Amino acid sequence: MAVKLVSGKTGWAIGLIFLAFFVIYPFLVDAEKSYLVYFLYTTFIYVALAQGWNLAGGYTGQVSLGQHAFFGAGCYVTAILWKVKAIGYLDPVGMILSGICATVLAILVGLLLLSKLRGDYFALGTLGLGEILHVVAINGGHVTEGPMGISLPSYAYVSMVYYYFIALAIVLVTLALVLLMTRSSTGLALVAIRENEVAAAANGVAVLKYKVIAFAAGAFVTGLCGSLNAYYTFHVDSAGAFDLDWVIIPILMTILGGAGTFLGPILGAFILSGIFELANVLMPQLHPIFSAAFIVLVTLFLPDGLMRYVTGRKEGILRKLPFFRAISGGA
Amino acid sequence: MHWFSSLTTFFQVLVNGVFLGCMYGVAAIGLSLIFGCMQIIFIAQGAVMILAAYCIFWMVTFTPLSAFWGFLFIIPVFVGFGFAMYTGLFQRVAKTGKNPSLLLAFGLMVLLEHVMAFVFSSDYRTVQTKYASTALGIKGVTFSVNRIIVAVVAVAATALVFLFLKKTILGKAVRAVSEDMDAAALLGIRPEWVSAVTFSIGISLAGVAGVATSVIFPFDPYFGFIFSLKALIAVAFGGLGSVGGALLGGVILGVLESMSAYTIGGGWADAVAYAAFLIVLVFRPEGLLGRSSAEKA
Repeated sequence: MAVKLVSGKTGWAIGLIFLAFFVIYPFLVDAEKSYLVYFLYTTFIYVALAQGWNLAGGYTGQVSLGQHAFFGAGCYVTAILWKVKAIGYLDPVGMILSGICATVLAILVGLLLLSKLRGDYFALGTLGLGEILHVVAINGGHVTEGPMGISLPSYAYVSMVYYYFIALAIVLVTLALVLLMTRSSTGLALVAIRENEVAAAANGVAVLKYKVIAFAAGAFVTGLCGSLNAYYTFHVDSAGAFDLDWVIIPILMTILGGAGTFLGPILGAFILSGIFELANVLMPQLHPIFSAAFIVLVTLFLPDGLMRYVTGRKEGILRKLPFFRAISGGA
Repeated sequence: MHWFSSLTTFFQVLVNGVFLGCMYGVAAIGLSLIFGCMQIIFIAQGAVMILAAYCIFWMVTFTPLSAFWGFLFIIPVFVGFGFAMYTGLFQRVAKTGKNPSLLLAFGLMVLLEHVMAFVFSSDYRTVQTKYASTALGIKGVTFSVNRIIVAVVAVAATALVFLFLKKTILGKAVRAVSEDMDAAALLGIRPEWVSAVTFSIGISLAGVAGVATSVIFPFDPYFGFIFSLKALIAVAFGGLGSVGGALLGGVILGVLESMSAYTIGGGWADAVAYAAFLIVLVFRPEGLLGRSSAEKA
């Protein structure tokens, strides 16, 4: 990797301090009413979704616009299995099964699309996949209960704390997965493919295999998030499960933070969630306009992401801030 | 699944499909032009169409003019709008790569949608024309006058763009930049200028498609996205970057949707369209009518 982000003990120490805070915080406050607990829960989901996209989109350079397919698949697998009583409430088996279904879908589609399509065509193909699943969910008859969607037994709800910690666990699994993949020879292969696919292939990198691995690993995480979302909302319908927001917001977070970096999507998710929430509180009516304007501004002024400014790929003021110097290992 | 009861029904469904496809086609030509020249998938095309549709709605509401007069002012206004959008936003972002451009287009789409929802409200709007209920009939197959006008405009727009590309010096420059930007720049063509012109034409075509939409469909601020997707599919059918292919791709898509809506059921028409889209992308990425990549090279 060109830029080493969390190097040495400083980075790990800061990470552990944050983790300790996240673990302790819900016990210090009334988790049911705490706005921060709710905020962190949604942000955790976005961190996982952003990292899930980052694996194929950021590290490998294969831009997928079909993450909502995997998110929605996760939602529907959990909802349908729970409806027929195959799994229970917040069932880990159900969540992992949802993740695996999304992975299998990604492998099948990935083999088909990634072997043939590059760049924009791949982006369009994955977008088409999401839209097909959307239509299938609407027309799924009694299996998906059509456009009205599946209502789940909301009396099962116990506590916000469960959701919070499951989301945190998903984030940790995701980060571990990303670290494992990027710190091994797999990571080198992924970056090689992004930088120059032909040269990578010529040097013996099994291009298709690694692309599919990155795409499928991202889909697994996205499926997990979809499953948790189904348990959280107690209602799964086609419009909500296959909402394009599940694609675009994580991509935006990743690009804002820095695509193809480890800390970028985390940073992007926290910053953007914070801004969206702030906009929602201060001016609820204008919130969507504000968020969209923000997307435009980010692409205009920060197309390479914050992390690249921090780590010295681009000169910037941020680099001079001690906090950023610390997390980037003084790079 | 049910089959056509008579030949008349078959022709009626076919005609409806062709008319629907003409509208996809106009939006698709703009998209295809912009892609060919700048390699950007301009996903906000649909939102721009709806903006034009709102312009027509307010024109018809506040003036005694008929909707089709709208073409006269929509085309120049949207050329200017496109020019401003390119020089203000895309010219800068295009230098940093393709992903930011795609994201910028998406951001613009969401921005336009929400601003329209805020200013015009999310209610459905319809534009009435005095020919709305007039139709011609040939042997039991009916042609609504509104749709005939839209189809004529679609064909005329395609022909104009085609002539512009083949017969004018500027059109030649556009084709040169689409083929090889570096070589074109070496020959003294300014790629930014050519891109600005292409982008403006693309946006004005979105405006034309918007006028057509306003008289045929009820619309709301979010109606455009599905049109962007349909235009993309039409472009993929015709081959990215080809003008005549885009219109034909639109017509193929319209007929496919109309036929599958009749035989399988309305809800599945979109799924059939997307499935066909995936099949074309995988097996003939150069488009149904495009040259294969081997021939191009």
